[in-house]
Amino acid sequence: MADFDAIVVGSGMSGGMSAKELTERGLKVLVLERGPEIIPERDYVDNLAPWESPNLDNVAQDEIAERYPKQYGGVAYAIKESNKNFWVRDDEHPYEEAEGTSYDWLRGYHTGGRSIMWSRQVYRLSNLDFNANKTDGYGIDWPIRYEELEPWYEKVETFIGIAGSAEGLPQLPDSVFQPAFELTDAEKALKAKVETTFPERNVIAARVAHLTDATEEQQSLGRSNCQVRNRCHFGCSFKAYFSSLNATLPAAERTGNLTMVHNAIVSSIEYDAETNRVTGVRIVDAETNEKRLYTSKVIFLNASTIASAMILLQSKSVAFPTGLVNRSDQVGRNLMDHVSGAGAAGLISGFDNQKVFGRRPSGGIYIPRYANLNGQDKPYLRGFGFQGGSSPLGNAGGRIAGIGRGFKEAHKNPGPWRVNIGAFGEQLPNPENRVTLHSSKRDRWGNPLALFHVTYSDNEHTMLEEASKDAVAMLEAAGCSDITANDVSLTKPGNRIHEMGSARMGHDPADSVLNSWCQAHDVPNLFVTDGSFMTSSACQNPSLTYMAFSARAAHYAADLIADGTL
Amino acid sequence: MTTRREVLQGLIVSIGGATALTACGGVANVLSTRPGSAARFYTSEEYALVTRISDLIIPRTETPGAVDANVPGYMDGLMTDWANNETKNAHRTALRQIKVELDQRASGNFLDASDSAAEQSLVSFDAAAFAEDGDTSGYKRVKGYVSQSYFATEDGATEELKWVAFPGRWDPSVEI
Repeated sequence: MADFDAIVVGSGMSGGMSAKELTERGLKVLVLERGPEIIPERDYVDNLAPWESPNLDNVAQDEIAERYPKQYGGVAYAIKESNKNFWVRDDEHPYEEAEGTSYDWLRGYHTGGRSIMWSRQVYRLSNLDFNANKTDGYGIDWPIRYEELEPWYEKVETFIGIAGSAEGLPQLPDSVFQPAFELTDAEKALKAKVETTFPERNVIAARVAHLTDATEEQQSLGRSNCQVRNRCHFGCSFKAYFSSLNATLPAAERTGNLTMVHNAIVSSIEYDAETNRVTGVRIVDAETNEKRLYTSKVIFLNASTIASAMILLQSKSVAFPTGLVNRSDQVGRNLMDHVSGAGAAGLISGFDNQKVFGRRPSGGIYIPRYANLNGQDKPYLRGFGFQGGSSPLGNAGGRIAGIGRGFKEAHKNPGPWRVNIGAFGEQLPNPENRVTLHSSKRDRWGNPLALFHVTYSDNEHTMLEEASKDAVAMLEAAGCSDITANDVSLTKPGNRIHEMGSARMGHDPADSVLNSWCQAHDVPNLFVTDGSFMTSSACQNPSLTYMAFSARAAHYAADLIADGTL
Repeated sequence: MTTRREVLQGLIVSIGGATALTACGGVANVLSTRPGSAARFYTSEEYALVTRISDLIIPRTETPGAVDANVPGYMDGLMTDWANNETKNAHRTALRQIKVELDQRASGNFLDASDSAAEQSLVSFDAAAFAEDGDTSGYKRVKGYVSQSYFATEDGATEELKWVAFPGRWDPSVEI
């Protein structure tokens, strides 16, 4: 008799959704979280006033060098003294990079995983994306199309809450929206001029997972509308932005079917060759080093794209000598992220007499993909979207000339407005881009370190060069002055924190790990519904898609349990 | 009549614990060096310089100024508790160079200059520093510390910037 109906490994973005849907179907679910518990009332620091955080809330420079060189190097904008505990310490959680490569593995180990530190932009994929691999031959064909996923997008969006505007764009299907954060007048001017000059391009409000008109269901979970403080990286006491800690885990908890165990680092998954089923999860307690085994009827891997692949690779048996469900040798391969490093900024005139009220969270504008929409018409494959926004320069933090009353009061006045846009491009799947288990180095709990080998192809370089030109052209069309566009410098792989693809889904067990239900081809009671399943990366922020697939897979698994198949 | 400079000199003398000033309250930051306490990073002369230029950059107006908000103490804490040795050394070097530049412009010790002479010296130096490629002293960074520290204090954030903890709504277009 198994301890649980289902074990979900990981409590982050996708794990929370898996747990919610499985528990709401009446299954007894254990969620294993490798980090400590975060209790919002105790651990969120969003209500600290600026003067309550010493040293401009900066982490001491020596501490950064000693403890956070990778994390801070990747997301300095998000790691502050008051919230540094949301990010892993690199000295405690090291990883390795193959010679000549570099990788940003940016993460947090605690309840909710990265869902409490994410930047909350959410966009659906479209059939442009699901057809991409088949069309140009890079990677393998997705075994699913948009129409099958659409109801699951709707279900997830209705639950999590998304502020956005319906645009009717085929390449970026509309979500279920709550009212968008309205564009500033500077952004509206940019939109008008860009859309006139480039009819195939659109400037729309960023779609963000923030409540602006909370539903009864959301309110029943203690969630309320966004207070427009832009303190999201510190947690949200209003639970206004979506995180698993704010929404899915409480929803799972209230079913009475959820058990959560923290500090449980998964070492391996047990496999029974006789029944061809996974039977349990072996863990080591992060604090006591105690080893335990939990058993269940089905297992959902939601440990994150890197960690789930590593758990599979660590789970070796006679039947799977190179790692669980790795008969295709695709586990750990095709590691993708999005690529940035091209964009532009400029001053836009005519708005010096305006300012804003409130601090808008996350993004302001989004320019959906416009490249290669109807056939191949660019010198690169696939495409990119731009994220951006506008803000007055007035509060310049001492970077403007002058002293005395004039300088002091300049900080209250908006001054000229600045607009900026930055590209998020698609990365092609490449089996040579991979994470493997280091052959000798292990962490303090005895698990192998991750070894990354990820490089960009010519396509990503060409795409970003073109994106840079496009960005400048759009700001020029908008009449911007003082346009700056730094030399294109691609972000490190992993830096966008959209890693995906390490256990891709496909039609054929010979070249893929999962089927269209995120179910392992070779072991029917094993599901992987974090970013690992992604067969291509598209260029949209992926968390929404992870959650839609997680919900869909959870119901499929529940059906299989109900009919006795599992 | 007591000049602003004399008030500041009194404050500076207090560094070392001679006097506890209560007029510079409103700063809750526990890691700032409190007015009246010994500086932990700055020498007396450095603290005097930081205090003088902070006061000139962000003076008291209808709202508290940088000295009222204990910006020098905030910066002393910043250098003590946040900065690494490289940053500390660069900051010290910058202060030395700034002092040289300001002494030249004041035709003597900048710290002894009259209010108007000191102001004119810093106006001149600031303009030169913000000319293209004009800042070789690190002055802009020091000015950045002053400004950022000021607006991170309760005085600067709430009284000058009218910072609101809970806006509660987003209005993208407010006419001034």
